[in-house]
Amino acid sequence: MPTVTIDGRTLEVEAGTNLIDAAQRIGVQIPHYCYHPRLSVVGQCRMCLVELEGSPKLQAGCSTQVTKNGMVVRTDTPEVREAQKGMMEFFLINHPLDCPICDQAGECGLQDYAFKHGQAYSRFEYEDKRTYPGRERIPLGPNVLLNMNRCIQCTRCIRFTEEIAGTGELGFFNRGARTEIGIFPGKPLDNPLSTNVVDICPVGALTSTRFRFAERVWYLDKRPSVCTGCDVGCNVTLEHRRGRIRRYKPRFNPEVNDYWMCDYGRATFERYETLPRLAAPRLRRAGPEGNGGAPAPAGWGRALDAVAERLRAGGRIAVLGSGQLTTEEAFLFAELARAAGGAALPLVRTEGPERTIPNLHGGITGRERHPNRRGAELAGFGGDGGPSADDLVVGDAAAGLDVLVIADGDLGPGAHDDEAVARLRKAAFLVVFGWADTPLARAADVALPVATHAEKDGTFVNVERRLQRFEQAFPPPGQVRPAVEVLAELLAALDGRGWAGVGTARAFARLVEARPELAGLDFDELPPTGTPLPGFDEDREDMEKRAPASPVARDAEGQGV
Amino acid sequence: MAYEKVLTRNVGRPEARTVAGYEKAGGYAGLAAAVKMQPEEVIEEVKKSGLRGRGGAGFPAGMKWGFIPKDHDGPKYLVCNADESEPGTFKDRLLMEHEPQQLIEGCAICCYAVGAATCYVYIRGEYTAANAIMEEAIRDAYSAGILGDSVMGSGFKLDMYMHVGAGAYICGEETGMLESLEGKRGQPRVKPPFPAIVGAFGAPTVINNVETLANVPHIVERGADWFKSIGTDERNTGPKLYAISGHVERPGTYEYPIGVPFRTLLDGCGGMWRGRELKAFIPGGASAAILPGEEHLDLAMDFDSIAKAGSMLGSAAVMVMDETTCMVRSVARLAKFFNHESCGQCTPCREGTNWMELLLTRIEKGEGREQDASLLSNICTHVAGNSLCALGDAAVGPVKSLVETYSDEIERHVREGGCPFPPIRVFGNGNGRPADAVHPAAGEAAG
Repeated sequence: MPTVTIDGRTLEVEAGTNLIDAAQRIGVQIPHYCYHPRLSVVGQCRMCLVELEGSPKLQAGCSTQVTKNGMVVRTDTPEVREAQKGMMEFFLINHPLDCPICDQAGECGLQDYAFKHGQAYSRFEYEDKRTYPGRERIPLGPNVLLNMNRCIQCTRCIRFTEEIAGTGELGFFNRGARTEIGIFPGKPLDNPLSTNVVDICPVGALTSTRFRFAERVWYLDKRPSVCTGCDVGCNVTLEHRRGRIRRYKPRFNPEVNDYWMCDYGRATFERYETLPRLAAPRLRRAGPEGNGGAPAPAGWGRALDAVAERLRAGGRIAVLGSGQLTTEEAFLFAELARAAGGAALPLVRTEGPERTIPNLHGGITGRERHPNRRGAELAGFGGDGGPSADDLVVGDAAAGLDVLVIADGDLGPGAHDDEAVARLRKAAFLVVFGWADTPLARAADVALPVATHAEKDGTFVNVERRLQRFEQAFPPPGQVRPAVEVLAELLAALDGRGWAGVGTARAFARLVEARPELAGLDFDELPPTGTPLPGFDEDREDMEKRAPASPVARDAEGQGV
Repeated sequence: MAYEKVLTRNVGRPEARTVAGYEKAGGYAGLAAAVKMQPEEVIEEVKKSGLRGRGGAGFPAGMKWGFIPKDHDGPKYLVCNADESEPGTFKDRLLMEHEPQQLIEGCAICCYAVGAATCYVYIRGEYTAANAIMEEAIRDAYSAGILGDSVMGSGFKLDMYMHVGAGAYICGEETGMLESLEGKRGQPRVKPPFPAIVGAFGAPTVINNVETLANVPHIVERGADWFKSIGTDERNTGPKLYAISGHVERPGTYEYPIGVPFRTLLDGCGGMWRGRELKAFIPGGASAAILPGEEHLDLAMDFDSIAKAGSMLGSAAVMVMDETTCMVRSVARLAKFFNHESCGQCTPCREGTNWMELLLTRIEKGEGREQDASLLSNICTHVAGNSLCALGDAAVGPVKSLVETYSDEIERHVREGGCPFPPIRVFGNGNGRPADAVHPAAGEAAG
């Protein structure tokens, strides 16, 4: 591998690495706007100019590749700084500079570089700024708005639609200082990946219709998480203010979603806003008419005592799981079924709209609405015996059950459908865990408020059988508790003292003990890009066969657009 | 000095537009000789001749041909740059309108030398007459067996197409031309890779200017030594067309040996218009620095001599200005051109050319400030060398020479709060000044 010396430090890089990436490896940041590691190199913004020994002019770091041994690069000379200052001035002379009313403020490439490489005054005092009257709020599609006044013509968005989404809705129109971004007549920017252009826009030109003006970004707390929209498991940054999720942004994971995520996934947190929250445990007290009394708020102790009592009483007991559970929760639910002598029923398969998230391995196509069916099955759901979920929801199978525990009160459309709820309600005793106060939760004898995925930690196993861990973004509100904690308490009551105080990490450790295919895994040491589980390779191969090849993959095979 | 015209000998002989007429005048001897040579020998001869590109950059043509990979498996192309858009330049138009077969012959020799089976002539959209003549000449060349399945019976196959541009200056930049040729928005590509490796449709491509290719038949026919006997020195060889405009009595295209003194050019076109004083001239198109006239009368009009004088031969479009010319206004007009023609993809060119036009227009209107000259100079520094293609540098050329050579005129505009020169309506839509009088030369210069 050739060596390159950047600012006096020599490193080896693969031949063909560009200077921006090479410098990044030793912590040297070469400023840039138009360059993006997954998009073609166009050398347009000229922000990444560096000094290259032997070259009479400054060279663009993005389009200069390390090809031969011994290239010497400087990113910090007076000439480079002067050029950067010049570019910043060029960007800003026609920029509105109305940061206080711009949604990008706080995460704006112009603000950052102006601070670092620009100057504090303007020499563009006597000329009028270029504006695009009537082009300040152009809906490019349902999810993206364009304010042309703020655009710096970096063309990242254009290249994204051409090279990643493969849809090519955006183009450069007009020329010179009048150059504009736009869509073609009658062809809106409406593809499943469209909001990614907002993420890669370095300035406030493209904003998300969903997020714009919802929150100042500096008020947001950002935590690494995993999208629950489907079984791809896109890595996301969950951004919230005091427990109210404001947006998901894709978090780089080259093995899963690369730099991207789909528009559907970005909207999934809105369910937390639209459904009422189940805020406290509810218990239907046995009145003179048996189960006829109305459910009433109860403390956790009494609610759990009631559940434990019914489970201990035995009879026909079943637990209906869900692909929304974490692997650890699913394991504890399955253990609960086992401890009570019941069955962990086969999971519901939720068909979802197929969306392919492009990555360098050919992309991953999500096919189910739940993120973790494979993890839940691995944890013990879906074995033989007992009625299927369909039998319960569509048929009359619940009538034969003494206790039915539903692990996810929002497990599907059935949770909101009166007839389906009525059928599930035929079980002699109905326990519902859930974060939402759904019709199903309201019908339960015991309704237990548990954390949303943002309020807990855990792991998901995606469609490729990759195990991914996510963190708790914020604690659950009020009396709501993480399900793992609640289940550990129930198991302790039913099964013995070994369960007391078990949290997610220990639940995972117990699962590892029970499943040879997980041998050697440690919850706290799981790699940030996830862990492929046995069967992964076949699944990925199968996936690559079935998935429509992404444009990225097509390019790699030389058959690109 | 008796100079026998080489490139323009058939001007005024419309019959030479046909293969038969052209052959009668000695045409196609070069191609006939070339197809009997080895391709490498042809390249070697062109290298030896010292022929440098006539489009503006002056890159040695033979060396350019030599960059085309010999062992390339797949098509190669020649693209003839006939997108003559540099303001003041009208030499290629003359060659196409009067010497179309000479260009076809040059293209054919080049294609034979580099192994290209297809040649595109990318012609600017405004050249409708030249395009029609070229189309007709190509048809004639096909029926005469010059083009087609067997070039002059050699078995070498060659197809040639005219491709009409849509009037963008940037499509004269070679990679902008390739994008446009491929049907995309005309804007330059990042280099490397250079067109010799990845050019038109991803294939190795030679791009030569019309005049460059027009020289080739004569080099092959008469030899590199003959070619080198014309011109200033080893690095500046061969015949050259000069497109002269501005305040001269007879503007037009003139052929001379390269390196002829500026004085000879001026005398050749009848001297200064109405006997006025020479103030300045642009030696090589709108992107060249303006040179003060009197002190450069003996300047040899070749690549290296003009470069040494601080400007460039460029496209050899010589624009002559008399004493009534306002340099601020002239440069403002040039800046307007570059602002209009910037493709808009790279920051320094898009924003810099725009800002320069705004500033110069303001100075010309008498609203300039003392610090504007140094601001202009600083903008030039930020644009020059930093843009994606050469358009940024081109735009800087005249502005820099204004600031460096004619700063006193900027100062007068600022001090007097207006333009000290007589008002002239430039090209009909000048820089916002009321047109009190229309300078008679304006029409000629535009023509």
